[in-house]
Amino acid sequence: MIDRHIGDLAELYALGALDESERGEVDRHLLHCAGCATLLAAAENDVALIASSEPQRPAPPELQGRIDRIALAPTSASRPSPASRAWAFPATLAAALVVGLLPSVYFWIENREMHGEMLAQRAAMERIVTSPHRTTPFTAMPGGSAAQVSYAPDGSWYVVVVSSISRSLDVVWMHDGKKTMLGRAAPRGNVAMLYLPKSHRMDKLALMDGDRIVAQAALSWQRTAPGRRAARSA
Amino acid sequence: MMPGQEGDEALAVAFAAHDPKAFGEAYRRNAGLLYSAAYNVLGNADDAKDCVADAIARLWRSPRAYSPQRGNLRNFLVVCVRNEAISRRRRAARRSRMEERVAGMRDDRDDPPLADPIERDRVRRALLALPPEQRAAIALAYYEGKTQTEIAAELGEPLGTIKSRVKLGLRKLASALELSTPVEGDGR
Repeated sequence: MIDRHIGDLAELYALGALDESERGEVDRHLLHCAGCATLLAAAENDVALIASSEPQRPAPPELQGRIDRIALAPTSASRPSPASRAWAFPATLAAALVVGLLPSVYFWIENREMHGEMLAQRAAMERIVTSPHRTTPFTAMPGGSAAQVSYAPDGSWYVVVVSSISRSLDVVWMHDGKKTMLGRAAPRGNVAMLYLPKSHRMDKLALMDGDRIVAQAALSWQRTAPGRRAARSA
Repeated sequence: MMPGQEGDEALAVAFAAHDPKAFGEAYRRNAGLLYSAAYNVLGNADDAKDCVADAIARLWRSPRAYSPQRGNLRNFLVVCVRNEAISRRRRAARRSRMEERVAGMRDDRDDPPLADPIERDRVRRALLALPPEQRAAIALAYYEGKTQTEIAAELGEPLGTIKSRVKLGLRKLASALELSTPVEGDGR
């Protein structure tokens, strides 16, 4: 399982319908698979939405102190144990062996990353097809390219699509006079796509080619009329 | 700048980097939601507190559990806490079954469901709008904490069918809840 992508297990994981050993296998897989992490983010968003729609209770104040104390405790990651020091030499030998295998590992990882990207793109397409959303074009796209951003009415996800493009563009959030890098839309064929599960609403996005802003999109967050689905395009 | 003064995006980055202050701050910002998520599964204040603390402690001991690819930190934490709560509930049910068996008191009834599990207006309405077979699969997973294998056995369907019903049902349920969520003023 650890080497297989999680596929349909994403929803079951997020709902809590896996047993502890299955969940552990998914957790281990997620440590090295960004595509599956993105797929799971979409399912977690759905489950968190249900959880936040249920009755809410104030947390007991004393719990904050317990949590703060947890984060003061040293972890195995921050302090090497005597056992791990004893393994330092064999680990060095193993690392040398790995270096010898690097070329084939590189191609294996490339293949996995491509698969991960495909899964992320599938998650993005499913979002657009099955969830209410708005769509806003980026203005002033250069050289005949076109770009748009589709986004959930509550700001929980965004999908940026750029067509007729041959190089990667960075997607940034423009706010408070600052630019926050959100990710890179890399072309597959002549279309680039970036799926962004997020926690908040962003008013302005921009596409950057290196240090240069090449296009911008102003997103609208107006309330939709009661009983109507959110507009499919703005 | 302290994590407490930054936005959710920056907090997620600090959390992924295993910044101790980010752990405390991530809990502080989502305390009510995380505690409620645990309480709604366990139905008991003491268990809910222990559950939230254990879930956060488990994350603290696993520095790579969260990465920015995992998306929204709040959603990630909610699912971690719920999964911890469901595990506790399953363990408690197993213990209780064993004790009943030892005491010769076991009868054939199912484990009692949580008090009033779906009497929660918005969620209940959205759940009722699902096709019955999807509703059953989601309710068994979300409200009763059943595993995929248990759901398949209970509904008498193959595992693959359960997976696709859960997938479709969850997406529809979330979509319906999204539509009924009031849009806030500025949303940040």
